[in-house]
Amino acid sequence: MQIANEVSGDLATLKLGGRFDFHSHRDFRSAYDKILDTNTVREIVIDFGEVDYLDSSALGMLLLLREKADGASKRVVLAGLQGTVKQVLEIANFGKLFSIRA
Amino acid sequence: MSSSHLTLLIVDDTPANAMQLAAVAGELGHSAILASDGMEAIAKFKASSPDLIFMDIMMPGMDGITVARRIRELPTDKWAPIVFLSAPDQMRDIVRGLEAGGDDYLVKPASSQILRAKINSYARILALQREVQANAEELQNWRLEAEEQSRLGAHVMSRLTDAAGLRDPMIRHFNMPADTFSGDLLCAARAPGEVLNVLLADAAGHGLAAALSAMPLTQAFYSMTAKGFPLPSIAEELNRKLKSILPPDRFVAATLAAIDVRNQTVEVWNGGNPDALFINTRGKVAMQWASHHPPLGILPDKLFSGMTETVVFHEPGDLVLCSDGLTEAENPAGGWFALDGVCAALSQAQGCETRCASLLQGVNDHLAGQPGHDDISALLVSVPINRRRQVRSTTPTPAHHGPLAEWRLALSFGAEELRYLDVVPAVLGFATQIQALRPHQGTLFLIFSELFNNALDHGLLGLDSATKSWIGGFELYMRQRGARLAGLHGGRIDIAFHMHQEKSRAVLDISLADSGPGFDFEKCPGALGSGEDTGNELAYGRGIALVKHLCEQVVYSGNGNQVWVRYGVSDLIVEQEETGAETEDEAITRQGDNTDLLLF
Repeated sequence: MQIANEVSGDLATLKLGGRFDFHSHRDFRSAYDKILDTNTVREIVIDFGEVDYLDSSALGMLLLLREKADGASKRVVLAGLQGTVKQVLEIANFGKLFSIRA
Repeated sequence: MSSSHLTLLIVDDTPANAMQLAAVAGELGHSAILASDGMEAIAKFKASSPDLIFMDIMMPGMDGITVARRIRELPTDKWAPIVFLSAPDQMRDIVRGLEAGGDDYLVKPASSQILRAKINSYARILALQREVQANAEELQNWRLEAEEQSRLGAHVMSRLTDAAGLRDPMIRHFNMPADTFSGDLLCAARAPGEVLNVLLADAAGHGLAAALSAMPLTQAFYSMTAKGFPLPSIAEELNRKLKSILPPDRFVAATLAAIDVRNQTVEVWNGGNPDALFINTRGKVAMQWASHHPPLGILPDKLFSGMTETVVFHEPGDLVLCSDGLTEAENPAGGWFALDGVCAALSQAQGCETRCASLLQGVNDHLAGQPGHDDISALLVSVPINRRRQVRSTTPTPAHHGPLAEWRLALSFGAEELRYLDVVPAVLGFATQIQALRPHQGTLFLIFSELFNNALDHGLLGLDSATKSWIGGFELYMRQRGARLAGLHGGRIDIAFHMHQEKSRAVLDISLADSGPGFDFEKCPGALGSGEDTGNELAYGRGIALVKHLCEQVVYSGNGNQVWVRYGVSDLIVEQEETGAETEDEAITRQGDNTDLLLF
C-alpha cells in the first residue's frame, strides 16, 4: 500500500493507494503516529480514493486509529469511498462509527 | 562460547610451525589444541569439537588430506573450516585436499601477519554462520510452536463447532478454512418452544487469532438460547462479552437468526456480514436482511443496538447465512463471487441439501483451484410451512420417585422492569432448576411465554392480535409493541407458581394477573375451545388453544385479566422399587425435551 501524508493547518490527510490489508499494518501505523503527535491537527482525513481492496484487518486498523485519535481529541474522517471499498465499509456499518465525506 | 572466541585445532608434525600458529591464535584471544599426527587429530577433533582447523598436508603416517576426509565423514551439526598448510610445490595436493572437504589453503611458510589475517577472516565468517544457524533454529522452533498452537486451536474449534445443534435435520452448512482451520464459527440450537436459533460469526482475520476472537461467543449463544432469551438480548450479551475482552482492533461480524416455524417468522440480526437471504422453492430471493449494525465487539453497551428485523414467511424456502469470505472469494482475474454469484448458485438447485452443495460447488468453480484468502462459510436452514394446527396428544410424564416437596414462587413486575427484563427466561430459568420440572422445560416455556405475552401484549400494551392476520400485520404488530413497551409507565403483572401434591400426582399451578382492562375471554377464539384444529387459519387465538391443550385446566377470571392453569408434572411413586425400575435420570433422558413429541 502507498501512503502519502499531508498536513495543512489543523487538517491532516492520509492518501492511501493499492491494497489496504494485513501487510499494511506497520506503514499505516507509522503514518498516523506522526500525525497524532502533531498538536495542531484536529482532523485526520483518510482518503481511500486510490484504494482497490480493503480487508477486515484494515477495518481493525481504522478502529485502532479512531481510539487513539479520540484520546488525542482528534476526529477521523473517511473520504473518497468508491467501489468495493465503499461496499465493505457499508456492510460493516462504519458510517455509524466514523464521519464519512464524499 | 562467545562469537569472537574460537578453538583452533592445529595439526602439524613440525612443532615450530604449530607453536607459531598457536602463538598467533593466543594473541587474538583464541585457544589452540595441537595434534602432531592424523590419529591424534581425529581424536582431538572428536573430543573438543574445534571451530577452525589448520592442517599440514605432508605428515608421516596418515596425510592431511586423509585426515580431512575422515573428519568430514564424522557426524556433526556444525561446520568447522579446514585450512591446509602446504609447500609451494604441492598444487595438486591442494586441489585434492579441497575436493576431500577442505575449505582453504595457505602456502608455507606463512608469516604471522598472514596467519592473523586468515584467522580474523574465519572468525568473521564463523560469527556470521552461527548467526544464520541460530536464526534458522529460532525459526524452526517458532514453526513448531505455531503448528502446536494451530493443532490446539483446530481441536478446540472443532469441538466448539461440532455442537449437536448443527446436526439438526433442518440445517446444512460448510466451512472452508483459508488457514489450517477456520476462524468462522457456526452455531445452532433449539430454544425452548421449538424456535431454532442459528449464528454465523466471522472474526476479523483468519486462523488462530480469528478463532480466538470468536470462541467466547459459543457459550453465551448456547446458554442463552437454551434458556429462551430473545434474539436482541442474545446479540447484546454477545457484544458485551466481546467488547470486554477483545482489543480495539478486533471484532466479529455476525448474523443471528431465529426461525419460528409455529409463528412462521424469521428474525434476523446482521452486524457486518453479507445479506442473509430467504430463497423460495422457485429459487428466487423472497426476503433479504442487510447488515444494519457494526460487527460485535466494537460498540459500548449503551450505543449498541440489538434491534432485529422479523419477517413473516408465507411459503417454504431456505434461509441462507454466509461470511464475506464467500462473497469476496476471488477468481483468477480478481473478480468477486459476490451476492449475485451466491444467488445464482442457490437458484440452480432445489432443497436445502442440494442448494448447499450447489453453493459450495459454485464458489469452488469461481476460485478455480486458487485458495481463498479468507475463511469461507455458509449455513442454510430449511424452513417449512406447517399447516397442521393440531397439537399432538400430551406426552407421557416421567414418574417422580419419593415424596414431593411443595414449593411456591410469587413475583410481581412493574412497568420499569417490564420495559427491559426478559421475564420469561429469567423466571423459568429459576423454576426449571427444580429437578421435577427439568424434563418439562420446553412445554413450560410454551405455556408460560404464551400466558405472559398475553398479559403484557394485550393486558398492558393493549395490542390487538387481529392485526397479525393482515398482510404486513405482523411487522406492524411488532413495531407497535416496541413503541408501546418503550412508553409503558404504569401497570403490573403478578406471577405465581405453586407445585404441590394432588392425590398421588405432582401438579404445577401457574397464575398470572395483569393490571390491564382484561378481555372478553368468552368471545376469544380458542379461549374456550378444545384446542383441536378448527381449520381456523387466523394467526391469533392459536396460543390460547395450545395452552389449553398442554394444561389440564385453564381458568380465566376477573375481567379476563387473571388466568390460572394447572399442569400435570408427574405421577408420584413414593416407594422406590428395587428392581426393574428405571432411575429418574433414565426417565428424564428417555423423555428428552417434551417439545419434540408435542408439536406440529
